[in-house]
Amino acid sequence: MRFIFVTVVKELKRRFNDPGGLISAIMIPFAVGFLMASVMGGNGGGAIKATLLVTDLDDSFISQGILSALGQDQVAEMILLEKVSQDEGDRRINKGEGSGHLLIPEGFGEAWLEREEVALQLTVNPSQNISPRLIREMLESLLDLGDYLHKVFGTELKIISQSLDSDGLVGISTADFSSNITDKVTGISGLVFPPVMEVEDVTPQPEGRSINMALLMFPGILVMAAFFAANGQSTNFWTEKENGTLGRWVASPNAFSSFWIAQWFTAMFLTVLVAGPIMLMGFIYFDISYQKFFTSLAWLALTGPVLFALLSLIQVLAPSRKAGGMISTLIMFPLLMAGGSFFPTETMPGFISAIAEYTPNGRVLEPLKGYLVGEHGSSGMFSSLWIIMLATLLLILLTGRLSARKVLT
Amino acid sequence: MIEVRGLQKSYGDLVAVDRVSFSAGTGTIFGLLGPNGAGKSTTISCLSGLLKPTAGSITVGGFDMTTDAVKAKASLGIVPQELAIYEDLSARDNLTFWGAAYGLKGDGLKTRVEHVLNRIGLTDRAGDLPKEYSGGMKRRLNFGCGLVHEPGVLLLDEPTVGVDPQSREHLFDLVREEKAKGTCVLYTTHYMEEAEKLCDDLAIIDHGRIIASGTLKELQAEFGGNDIIQLSGSFDPPSVEKAVANLNGEVLSLGTDVLMMAMKDGARNLPAVLQQISATGANIHDTRLAEPNLESLFLKLTGKELRA
Repeated sequence: MRFIFVTVVKELKRRFNDPGGLISAIMIPFAVGFLMASVMGGNGGGAIKATLLVTDLDDSFISQGILSALGQDQVAEMILLEKVSQDEGDRRINKGEGSGHLLIPEGFGEAWLEREEVALQLTVNPSQNISPRLIREMLESLLDLGDYLHKVFGTELKIISQSLDSDGLVGISTADFSSNITDKVTGISGLVFPPVMEVEDVTPQPEGRSINMALLMFPGILVMAAFFAANGQSTNFWTEKENGTLGRWVASPNAFSSFWIAQWFTAMFLTVLVAGPIMLMGFIYFDISYQKFFTSLAWLALTGPVLFALLSLIQVLAPSRKAGGMISTLIMFPLLMAGGSFFPTETMPGFISAIAEYTPNGRVLEPLKGYLVGEHGSSGMFSSLWIIMLATLLLILLTGRLSARKVLT
Repeated sequence: MIEVRGLQKSYGDLVAVDRVSFSAGTGTIFGLLGPNGAGKSTTISCLSGLLKPTAGSITVGGFDMTTDAVKAKASLGIVPQELAIYEDLSARDNLTFWGAAYGLKGDGLKTRVEHVLNRIGLTDRAGDLPKEYSGGMKRRLNFGCGLVHEPGVLLLDEPTVGVDPQSREHLFDLVREEKAKGTCVLYTTHYMEEAEKLCDDLAIIDHGRIIASGTLKELQAEFGGNDIIQLSGSFDPPSVEKAVANLNGEVLSLGTDVLMMAMKDGARNLPAVLQQISATGANIHDTRLAEPNLESLFLKLTGKELRA
């Protein structure tokens, strides 16, 4: 055990003697995360907001109703409406400005009231992922709501539409109109106004902070930092082999397995060294409770080396350092992508986010994310610790066995 | 301190080391001499536990390398042919780490590290990284890493390859000091002069087999008191072969530019040799007469030059 400690100290000294490597391991995930957040429209502390360019060629009571609904308080927090001419809308969406362009064609309101086939035309910005989806879902909900309104109050809506240019209601007295509406509301009240019963969400939520894109990306950046720490350490097998020091190790009276155990512990410390500063910056920026800092760092230090174990296995199986590097890249970058390290799983198509759960980095990332955004406490995060640690141990033992065969031929 | 019996190492059909046996005691330098690829490094690798022998037994410091490997390894110090140091750790940190690898700790480790730094002449540069060192300094550090734990047996695998003359002499001094301390040194080299300078006992290895062994004097006696005559120039080998057939000497090497012979009373017979060879139309540029050495012995035993 003492020699493992001595080896870890030696490894850390080697890393400190190469400060450039250590600093780049810290800076790269930070820079990648910053770029990703910027590209995805993350504005740091703000929530996701889509810009919807609208061209209303209909300018009817119904089209204005749609725009009004999209401008309501809660929807307005997510969608910024901007009325534009059709040409300007086309031009701006082609330039990548805005998340989508909604065209309400002429005659839309009338056709809708008559239940004729009618369509809103939506052009989305292909370079954005979340915002167009948000707009689509909002519009679909709105149209569903409109459909129900039409079924219940279709006649009344038609009367209102026909009466807009008149002083009073056309073809019906105000009293009858009111009476009809009251009857219909009373008739459906059992459905739309059910007995007072609601689900109260009692999950404690952090005050004064909303979950935003940058915060969702933050754990991914931390796992990316753990990956960089792991990747650097996993190539140490080749470095020691090429330096001849692995031969000296084998010739020493120490068990070869102690080499790999020491590498594992070193990977833990390196994870702390590389991810720690990024985590601290993130905690300050997102104003996350510092009580969570050491727990989060401990989680990352204990679970992050599963990536080291996996990468080491790849290196040991590879015929050379170069091949090991290539295979690692080929395997790990898709894993990082699918595991939510580059893009939060919340922004991914369902089938990819389902994969994330089965990737090692996803196993590290998702509990940490849940903990940082307040979905669950530390016990929720650490409940899966033993699975990851066990997987790491098994991978390390396998790697040790295979590398011994490679060294002792 | 070292006893090797019937050591064999095969890779499929290729036999790299073939039934090698030798032994070396305390306070001696045992030289394993042979050309590149003869099997010296493979033998050393088996001795140090880096390779598993196919057959045979190895005992180091009284411990069997197969059944008591930890104790056997603990008594070994290794200086590999290729550098085996951390270029990104200072000389002091390198020595400290390898000392700790063999169980040294605390003040004992510190004292020992400083002592070794002094012996290998790196005290002034102890805090620098080896990547800033010259080749000779790296070699000395490589040497120091092998002896920091004061091993009873020191394996030196061609330790002077690529070393400047000054550092080479320094390393020779270190080897002699180790011998004087009672360390058993196994020294492999393909440099004859190193073996002649340093080794008490020698084994000549070629194609994985030991072809001769003994002290330098015993090996020289293989020539039965013959001298070595070496002629350089331009020769017609078939004519020369016929011409020297009557001279009562043994041709060790004959080519278009060199002739090497072993012959009794070389000085007295040299004029006759020159006369016979010149008669074949040969053009002789240089003539050397010497006592037999390891190089000529190797030539006699294998029919080829050692450095070839």
